[in-house]
Amino acid sequence: MTPYRRAAWAAAVLVAACVAFLLADYVVAATRAPREAGLVKSLQEQLKSDASLAPNLAAEQKRITEARLARKLRDRWLAWVLIAAACAFLASAKRSIRAPQPPARASISVPSRDRQGAVPRPLTEPPPLDLSFVDTAIAQHGRTRESAIPLLQAIQTHYRYLPDEALRRVCELTDVTPAQIAGTSSFYAQFRRSPVGKHVVRVCHGTACHVSGARQITEELRRYLAIPEGADTDPSRTFTLDEVACLGCCSLAPVLMVDGHTAGRLTPASARNALEETA
Amino acid sequence: MTTVRAAILVLLAASFGPVALAQALDYQRPVQTAPQQDTIGGGYKTPPVQKPLPRDAWLQLLDVSLLAAATGVAVWLVLKRRSRKALGWLSLGSLAYFGFYRQGCICPIGSIQNVTVALTDPHYSIPMVATAVFFIPLVVALFFGRAFCGGVCAIGAIQDLVVLKPIQMPRRLDRVLGLLKYVYLGLAIFFAVRPALGRDFVICRFDPFVSFFRLSGAPHMLILGGAFLVVGMFVGRPYCRYLCPYGALLNWCTRLARRGVTITPDKELDCGLCTGSCPFGAIDKMRAVRKDCLYCARCYKACPRESHP
Repeated sequence: MTPYRRAAWAAAVLVAACVAFLLADYVVAATRAPREAGLVKSLQEQLKSDASLAPNLAAEQKRITEARLARKLRDRWLAWVLIAAACAFLASAKRSIRAPQPPARASISVPSRDRQGAVPRPLTEPPPLDLSFVDTAIAQHGRTRESAIPLLQAIQTHYRYLPDEALRRVCELTDVTPAQIAGTSSFYAQFRRSPVGKHVVRVCHGTACHVSGARQITEELRRYLAIPEGADTDPSRTFTLDEVACLGCCSLAPVLMVDGHTAGRLTPASARNALEETA
Repeated sequence: MTTVRAAILVLLAASFGPVALAQALDYQRPVQTAPQQDTIGGGYKTPPVQKPLPRDAWLQLLDVSLLAAATGVAVWLVLKRRSRKALGWLSLGSLAYFGFYRQGCICPIGSIQNVTVALTDPHYSIPMVATAVFFIPLVVALFFGRAFCGGVCAIGAIQDLVVLKPIQMPRRLDRVLGLLKYVYLGLAIFFAVRPALGRDFVICRFDPFVSFFRLSGAPHMLILGGAFLVVGMFVGRPYCRYLCPYGALLNWCTRLARRGVTITPDKELDCGLCTGSCPFGAIDKMRAVRKDCLYCARCYKACPRESHP
């Protein structure tokens, strides 16, 4: 429970208490009023026959008036307390609603952007890589310049991206040059140089999906996952957002794939849901 | 469009004439129904002042000019500066002055009935303040929309404060409930045009929030007001959208407005964040529905393309 939420509850209890007290005070006064009126009336009747009762009547009236004035003062103060408590409740409740930003699941733990659009740093640093696979791959595919592409493919399949450390090790142990690796890995779309998220989301940007709003879907998902400008993976490395040319199911446009699962006829909201179901 | 606006302006001016003329009538109503000195007896002395004195002329003028100024500032804040924060402060100030200090009186909503009476009863003398307060927001709405609702109205401000987690009302239900305000407007006019004894200022009598401004009131009105505020936490400004008879008039005037709220001025994303941010369901297909827009500027705040001054 956040402190704002606790404050909101406390204020709400105070508001309820004030309302209950005001209502009770009103009910008590309302039931007492006819009895007091009757008392005064009967005293006035008796006064006609017995003049010595005049001080009694005056005292009674004074008592009633004082009680009513006291109630008025009490209620007025309570009303101010009520107003203050209501303000406190609204302020803290608004904050506690605003605090847990996008309706993301706890397991995704999407960090929210602050107002300036600054993006929080990744939550976990990646663990140091186990490079022994590179050595086995080199043993399998050879050390010549021609084995560059099979090597890169093997590394990509194993690590799901091309880690800089692995590439450096390839250059150390084989005839493949850094320039060759840079050229090859940036030329083919199958290679990627940055770590990939746990799930890959392919948002279709084919013609049908484009006209039915793929751009809006992508924008919404980027906002929802707090993916920084120029990156394609969210800071917690749960999702990687990929814009692809066509998924081949134009009748479902706009469509996306999360790993093997396809979701079609999307709206920004249902696109979010599709992600939540996977995570 | 321009001709219709001109026609309405002429109509307003024409109705302003007799109302202004009524000012010339001498306002004297002898106290007859109250028990007099002789009937009470017992040496009772009637206090010298039997009816409350009218507010000083310069204070009345101050009220009117403050209303006009606040409406102007609201127009500027919403249409030009596009700032939710500044508008919030303006409406808080209006709540403090027109609500708690002036105790919710006079307000344009109630003045509908005063103006109606002044138009139909030659013996009724309407205060100048009521006339001005009735006409200023309407004329502004003819050109710039319902800025009054967003920045000046105390009843709107208190409801705007309690908006906590608004739900989007189903459009059809929203439309049906929205018809209630026309029924209420009709009732208000019906009760205003009746002869003097049967006249009933229902709008003021059943104003759910005025008892908050006065910190006292009939228990059923306080409970009704409380209920409106509790409902208002989840349904944005229910009184304004479904009941306010002045809202009905502003609604009509705003349809003719020259300028109004535009959600994204230059380049838009079509992301729908503004639609989600509008507690009043006044954004349809990513466009502001001007007649329903209450000028709260929340959509600007939610917009990623909008700079936040």
